Amino acid sequence: MMNRFNHLPTLKIDTSEKIPFTFKGKQYYGTKGDTVATALYANGVRIYARSLKYHRPRGFYSMDGECSNTMMEINGVPNVRTETTWLKPGMVIKEQNVKGSAENDLMGFIDKMDWAMPAGFYYDTMHKPAKIWPVAMKQIRKAAGIGKLSPDHHMPGKYDEIFPTCDVCVIGGGPAGMTAALAAAQKGLRVILMEARPWLGGQFDYRTAEYANRQTCHERAVQLAKEVEKTDNIRVFTHTANIGAYNNNLITGFQIGTEKDSFTERYIELRAKSVVVATGCIERPLLFENNERPGVMQAGCALRLANTYGLLPGKTGVFSIGHDLGLEAAVALHDLGMTIPMIADIREDGQDPVLLKAVMDRKIILLKGWVATEAHGRKQVKKVTLKSLDGTAEKTFDCDVLVASAGFTPLTGPLVVNQAKLKYDAHTNFFLPTDLPKKMHAAGRLLGYENGLSIEASGHLAGLKAAYDCENCSIADLGEAKKAMESKPGPARGTKLVMAPVKGRKTFICFDEDTSIKNVKQSIDKGFDVPELIKRFSGAGLGPGQAGIPGHNLPLFTAKYQALPDIKIRPTTVRPPLVPTLIATYAGTNHTMLKRTPIDDLQRKDGGIFRNIGVWQRARYFSKDFTSRKEIENVRNNVGMLDGSTLGKFRIHGPDALNALQRVYVSDLSKIKEGRVKYTAMCNDDGCVIDDGVVIKLGENDYYFSTSTGRAGQTVEWIRYHTRYENWDFSLVNLTDAMGVINLSGPNARKVLEKVVDIDVSNDAFGFSEYKEFKVADTIPVKAMRLGFVGELSYELHVPSSYMKALWLILKEAGKEFKIKNFGVEAQNVLRMEKCHVILGQESEQRTNLLDIGLGFLWSRKKTGYKTVGVAALTQAEKDNSRLKLVGFKMENNGRAPRDGALIVDDRVRGHVCTARDSFSLNEAVGMALVEGDMSKVGTRLAFYEDECNGELIYGTVVETPFYDPAGQRMKM
Amino acid sequence: MALTITCPICGKRNGYEFRYGGEEKGPRPDEKDLTPESWCDYVHMNKCVAGVQQEWWFHRDGCGSWFTIFRDTTTNLEKETPEAKE
Ligand SMILES: [Zn+2]
Repeated sequence: MMNRFNHLPTLKIDTSEKIPFTFKGKQYYGTKGDTVATALYANGVRIYARSLKYHRPRGFYSMDGECSNTMMEINGVPNVRTETTWLKPGMVIKEQNVKGSAENDLMGFIDKMDWAMPAGFYYDTMHKPAKIWPVAMKQIRKAAGIGKLSPDHHMPGKYDEIFPTCDVCVIGGGPAGMTAALAAAQKGLRVILMEARPWLGGQFDYRTAEYANRQTCHERAVQLAKEVEKTDNIRVFTHTANIGAYNNNLITGFQIGTEKDSFTERYIELRAKSVVVATGCIERPLLFENNERPGVMQAGCALRLANTYGLLPGKTGVFSIGHDLGLEAAVALHDLGMTIPMIADIREDGQDPVLLKAVMDRKIILLKGWVATEAHGRKQVKKVTLKSLDGTAEKTFDCDVLVASAGFTPLTGPLVVNQAKLKYDAHTNFFLPTDLPKKMHAAGRLLGYENGLSIEASGHLAGLKAAYDCENCSIADLGEAKKAMESKPGPARGTKLVMAPVKGRKTFICFDEDTSIKNVKQSIDKGFDVPELIKRFSGAGLGPGQAGIPGHNLPLFTAKYQALPDIKIRPTTVRPPLVPTLIATYAGTNHTMLKRTPIDDLQRKDGGIFRNIGVWQRARYFSKDFTSRKEIENVRNNVGMLDGSTLGKFRIHGPDALNALQRVYVSDLSKIKEGRVKYTAMCNDDGCVIDDGVVIKLGENDYYFSTSTGRAGQTVEWIRYHTRYENWDFSLVNLTDAMGVINLSGPNARKVLEKVVDIDVSNDAFGFSEYKEFKVADTIPVKAMRLGFVGELSYELHVPSSYMKALWLILKEAGKEFKIKNFGVEAQNVLRMEKCHVILGQESEQRTNLLDIGLGFLWSRKKTGYKTVGVAALTQAEKDNSRLKLVGFKMENNGRAPRDGALIVDDRVRGHVCTARDSFSLNEAVGMALVEGDMSKVGTRLAFYEDECNGELIYGTVVETPFYDPAGQRMKM
Repeated sequence: MALTITCPICGKRNGYEFRYGGEEKGPRPDEKDLTPESWCDYVHMNKCVAGVQQEWWFHRDGCGSWFTIFRDTTTNLEKETPEAKE
């Protein structure tokens, strides 16, 4: 275990607290505040993984998950970015993409085979001759991708989502972001500040260089963070990566929870009136031979390892850098005990004089106009070759760390995904955003500012611009902020160099996909001459790092190789999510959003076995016998009770209520009389049947109607849609949840009802298809209909939901002597199927029209002038003989029923089974099917093909319907 | 959803709350003289403009009204008038 600094002001670790974890089966200890990656580094791990294609050793390179180098499997979850994941006690950590170990990978030999795998290798080979592909594919599949996930893996943790509101959203909690947030907050606005790291401060946080007036950057970061935290109208989300930005300033991200939080991760979606993007920069990788050998790392990475996590990256570090942060890191690491044989600075001039003096004071060799050209060492850096940029002079040094960084790359993701354009800027060597989206502003280092005061001034200005968008800032204030900004140093000059003077066979432009400079050249030579094409052909930037490493090097190198003028340089497109996001995080918490009926608990108490049906939970069975035989027989022989509360129930009233009903129902409803029940159906504009139900006239301009369970949610929308031009005067109320329904069915139904009601319910007084209102126990108001869905004497009782429990218990008590029993949805399904009463969605599918399903008798052809929905199409379809028809069938030779959904075939598919059951009432298997018209004649033989039937067909015959009680006497008795 | 929609009753709300109801095509044609073709055109043919179009929305998770808005289909932003140009 390495020694760790424990007195640096910038540290985020607490060395007094040890955290145990398992790596490759052995126990190790990290320190409180460690990420998984730093804990491993502290334990001497240098090779974290092997690369995708060539199995090259990979190590700590950047710090914020810009590449797959340090992705590992943690607690069974693959591809975890260990650089941004807190170490937690008991974590089980494994290496990925290795045969053996990352240290000794048996697949390592592949690295020498790169000559056999040029860019586009898979596209060019293995498909000729065609029969090679299935064989090759298996091998490629095995080698492709990183990380393994068991198909039955269950994601541990709690995933949540929040939709906070604010006026101004600031993305990035560095100096610019914090200043912007403070500026907007001081104007009285509600601000949300999102920061990807677990703390505020950005690049200031880990730097001990002077900010201004002898205050260090770190001290300034702490000062700003304190100010932000004590400002009530700034809500800070740390450890929150921004993943998307869209029109109307919709901002998305996710937050990683700490031990104190109730969530593992949570998705955040918010809409701001104005947005400030202050995401700063990442470092631009330097391109040279073996530029990703473990031990090679970026300047910020080396500095943060020491200053944030108390780890000296190595004993001897050579630097090849192109910016002042590199010099600053060299000075700081030297002072912490690192031997620095040489700094190669790509720049010939322009260095910060203070830093130059610091370097000289420490007697570190600094060569300007020099660059690293090759890292040596099979598994880790042992030695480095450096050259002057013209390639004439050369030096070699032994080292265990090579700090390599060409420059900076601005993180413009949130701007770009929200349609900002990027334009190459020769001064900064950045792709800078132009044409910013409305009410979105950029600030800070991503615009090229290096000076701390400039960064904050640009943050302040952006914060005020956002306030201006919210109409909380005057033009005068804006002008002042602009002036202040202009008095500070402008954007710094960026280094032009993209790569060292080398051939590039082992110079990697993309680590995730093992794309070398040579591969890029091959792609260009094959005619894929723009970055978007090179990216796809060579894979550069397609890996999990989301182009964090090759993002800007690819277009810059491409331009250089093709000697393009600056104006032509175009980076590749960035798409959300900007940071890899777990599907679990997007999914959030899995709420059970199902409705329960008013007598749900009574159904459960009676042994109901529930199923999710649409938006409801319903009692489908009342015994483990899923044929529901006892329930069915009891309805046929005695009396049963069903909870039908899920039916859609509506009231429509007003002068135009009838007009509205006439518009959507195919029947002529002007003729219904009070006290009668009218069964009818709705079609869509294609004539396809979408709903059936009953309509009752309660009084003048006042109707009550029911819809099927599945349509209840859309009925108001449907009726209002189809009457939206009419300006009709009617009110429509959805009573589905306000009313419950009990279906009392069976030959004894009347005997039960008689006992509890205050009116005459004899067949003469209350006949089939009639409607009555009465009271039960002098209190419960009931709307009762005599229907026959299950084919027996039957009452459908509609009561206010609050009375459902009482009515149910009263009926149950009264029915005891008549052997009343619950029946479930499955029993009802069989009972009505025996009667050939359809359930829409079961006997129909999307293309089934009213005529196909045998409900044509509901359509009133005489009704005109109402522009009834579906009629135009039905008129047309009536002449069409090619449509499927609903038929009844029974099985041959006492055979079993085919499964629902089984196909009806001859030499092709001719139809399908809608519902079929072994009927106890009939003692044979029967069902309904949709078949092509020519097969609908009674007597036609049907062959049924079921899933996994191995070609064994079963047979049935089309018969007359209904199967049960064809004369319909039982429901009318 | 990035889209926001201004309901005439509830004001500007998140697009999630609404259901799309198609392009504005005018009232249902008269039954008289209606041919299957003209009917089919009314129901199924859309202009699919790349630009500002008038279209129907239903405030499903709100007041339950149908209304039209103008939306620029190229930016997915609501516009105040059919001519609105950036
Ligand atoms: Zn509304």
